[in-house]
Amino acid sequence: MPIHCDVEHVNKRLKQNQALKDVSLHFEKGLLHGIIGPDGAGKTTLLRTLAGLLRPDQGGFQFFEEGRPLALADARLRMAYMPQQQSLYADLSIAEHLDFFRDLHRIPTEIYRERRASLLHMTRLDKFVDRPAGKLSGGMYKKLGLMCSLLQSPDILLLDEPTNGVDPISRREFWDMLYEFREKRILILIATAYMDEAERCDRVHVINEGRTLAAGEPRSLMVESGAASFQDYFLQKIGVSA
Amino acid sequence: MKGFVLTRAWSIARKEVRHVRRDPFTLTMALGLPVVMIVFFGYAIDFNVKNVRIAVVDQDRTPSSRALQNVFSSSDYFQTVPADGRDGIDLLDNENTKAALYIPPGFQTDLTRKGAASVQVVLDGADNQTTGVIASYLGGLQRAANDRLAVAVPVPVRLDTRFLFNSELNSRWFIVPGLSVVVIGILSILLTALTVAREWENGSMELLLSTPVRPLEIVVGKLFPYSVLGLFSLAFVYVAARLVFGVPFRGSHLLFAGTGLVFLTTVLAQGLLISVITRQQLLAMQLANISGMMPNLLLSGFIFPIESMPAFFQTLTMGLAPRWFMYIVRGVFLKGAGLFEMGVPIIALCAINVAIVALAVKKFKTDLEP
Amino acid sequence: MSGRALAVEVEGLTVSFGDFKAVDDISFSVRPGEIFGFLGANGAGKTTTIRVLCGVLVPARGRVLVAGHDFSDGGWRIKHQVGYMSQRFTLYNDLSVAENLAFTASLRKMSAEKTAARMTELFALIEFDRPLTTRVSDLPGGLKQELSLAAALLHEPSVVFLDEPTAGVSPASRRRFWDLIRRVSQKGVTVFVTTHYMDEAEECDRIALMRAGKIIALDSPAGLKTSAFPEKLIEIEAPAENVVEWRRALAASGAVEGIQPHGMRFHAVLKDPERFSAASKGARWREIRPSLEDVFVRLVEGDDR
Repeated sequence: MPIHCDVEHVNKRLKQNQALKDVSLHFEKGLLHGIIGPDGAGKTTLLRTLAGLLRPDQGGFQFFEEGRPLALADARLRMAYMPQQQSLYADLSIAEHLDFFRDLHRIPTEIYRERRASLLHMTRLDKFVDRPAGKLSGGMYKKLGLMCSLLQSPDILLLDEPTNGVDPISRREFWDMLYEFREKRILILIATAYMDEAERCDRVHVINEGRTLAAGEPRSLMVESGAASFQDYFLQKIGVSA
Repeated sequence: MKGFVLTRAWSIARKEVRHVRRDPFTLTMALGLPVVMIVFFGYAIDFNVKNVRIAVVDQDRTPSSRALQNVFSSSDYFQTVPADGRDGIDLLDNENTKAALYIPPGFQTDLTRKGAASVQVVLDGADNQTTGVIASYLGGLQRAANDRLAVAVPVPVRLDTRFLFNSELNSRWFIVPGLSVVVIGILSILLTALTVAREWENGSMELLLSTPVRPLEIVVGKLFPYSVLGLFSLAFVYVAARLVFGVPFRGSHLLFAGTGLVFLTTVLAQGLLISVITRQQLLAMQLANISGMMPNLLLSGFIFPIESMPAFFQTLTMGLAPRWFMYIVRGVFLKGAGLFEMGVPIIALCAINVAIVALAVKKFKTDLEP
Repeated sequence: MSGRALAVEVEGLTVSFGDFKAVDDISFSVRPGEIFGFLGANGAGKTTTIRVLCGVLVPARGRVLVAGHDFSDGGWRIKHQVGYMSQRFTLYNDLSVAENLAFTASLRKMSAEKTAARMTELFALIEFDRPLTTRVSDLPGGLKQELSLAAALLHEPSVVFLDEPTAGVSPASRRRFWDLIRRVSQKGVTVFVTTHYMDEAEECDRIALMRAGKIIALDSPAGLKTSAFPEKLIEIEAPAENVVEWRRALAASGAVEGIQPHGMRFHAVLKDPERFSAASKGARWREIRPSLEDVFVRLVEGDDR
């Protein structure tokens, strides 16, 4: 059942910094949402809050399934989160990672076998199953992270800058994988600082310095303001001459 | 899924086993530390004092006086160095000898005529440690001397000192079982101190917290492989004690293993607690060293008896697992004590165990709030 | 720049670490005052190449000339002629602006007058208007990076290497920084840049793409696009329904090649304009300029197949 999410007036302070200032967002069900903003905009704070790892100081957010409110605890069981920083185990192989996450989520053996095979095929990592994560290239590492998230077949997927620092080819492959999963109409939230990735999303939510600047379909936003690229659109929005 | 799920704890345990197998530091420490400590405490430090040089000033020069000298020189503990009156003190002063034996003129005559004679033993009081030990040997030597020289004069009362359980007062019998406490105590805290902090520092904790796993599962899962490792170390110390040092074992092996396991998990949990609270490897290591070394070496009764400590410390040690396990170990090895006699220490040990594990779970941070 | 036609000349450079060839027989040259971009994944060999060009790593094989100097003296003269701005460490956070630059100057054994003169020039160049006693930690990210660049330029090098200089910097500051790079190159300094951002790569005069130790592409951005996409690259608006079917049919028709989803639309190379209308069921489309990412994917996939 498709899930959507509403964020209402969330404020969050982290130490000296007001990371989120009165943030309100609507994440429509079944779409690929891009949370676009430069470093320090508050993307990670927002995703961590939605994943339940941080609590808003004020305001809140709610997941809904078919219009009925879904408790956060239940939402978290159907949610997969891929943090921005390296969060896998350098000394464990790809296969060992997949086994570990299978056990954490208690995925039945038959289903696991199927999913594992299809994910390894999709990422083209099937020949590298015994290689430790520490020896994987940047792109392969991120793909492993994505596989670990997708293993549990989540209904909500939170990805924090998954293509950061990855070479263009791996980036392309990563997006191809995302699109395949998008077919399943799961709610995907992807935070990114790459402005050119904005156009790959169904909807974008632009944030800067903890505030939401704009939201909508990327192409429409650009056409409205006459910007040639999303980067130009962003600079326009923050009031810098292109 | 709420509550405790065994399969998740097991998956954490399996992962931890893989980490341990691939981490040279942990394995080297788990296997190396017991060896180092046993060699050190078992061999290098010897509380028995042997071959003490004792200067002998024999002013009697009779068969009896020579027989007395013989009592000293034939024992392993003394090595006699003949000297005359003036040399005696000098020898002590120059630290060539630790003691001097003065046999006055008329020794044999007194012995035959009065049935008793006295000689003087002067000890070098500057070296406390050795002097105390020598003084204690003298009792035994005196008895031996009496046996050899007595001239059919019945002695109405003989003060007989026997050292129960450890008749030779072999210090190794005292130290080596205690090593099982110290080795396991220090090692275990170091083993687990880094594991949780490492996951925080390398970023994997963030991902772990976003899955359904619960703190209790993580704690139990991580304790398991280190418990196995610790049991091997315990077995190693046992084998060394029995085979290499010849320490007798008079109690129940099951009791030893059982209480050993409880003690083991307690100190492992202590290390884990440090890891959970600090969430930083460097800090965790420092805290582990301090909270491992001090209580285990100094406050467990390993070398310094708890009975001689000030009241405050005596009470303090009641909350320390090493103290209780030390009591159990010595009881089981040397006294053959059973479940009944060890009731109080066992209960105390279990209570401390539960308390520390509970604290580790309670203090486990489950969010990323700064 | 007397007599030196090229700022950097590399011929057959190979660097191996044990069995692993970090740089595998690469050759290229860079003209003075060029902005030369180096792209590629981590581990492709960019950092190793730059280390050689900075005089820090002595190459086992190949000929390298930087600002006319080679490695015959172990790279010392090269080091004098190059400036380097690292991604990881730029300036000391707890020292002031003046202290940092004085330190850099002292490492290069610059005289006090020369240092003062250069500092005035560089502050004008980067339009730095804060007091010199400001602590670096109090400066915003973008300004820190610009100051780092100034420090790298202090000793008047003819070639300067910037390793991912805008990592973690806001888009507005990035724009400013690249304007600064332009001004620097206009003064005749050769600028080598490595970056992950494709839009920055567009600003370079020429780009080299490295992969697995080799250079797989080397040209100006425009040149690369033309050679990788001799046919038109178009953007197609998918129909509202049955997208999967529609896409499959279009791919099978052969009218286009390499269909890539882009949000709600698709990018594809137009192979057969005549058949396209029918095959796409009259979908709206427009020609677009290929991005550098499109270019690189094309080149690499072309390589593999």
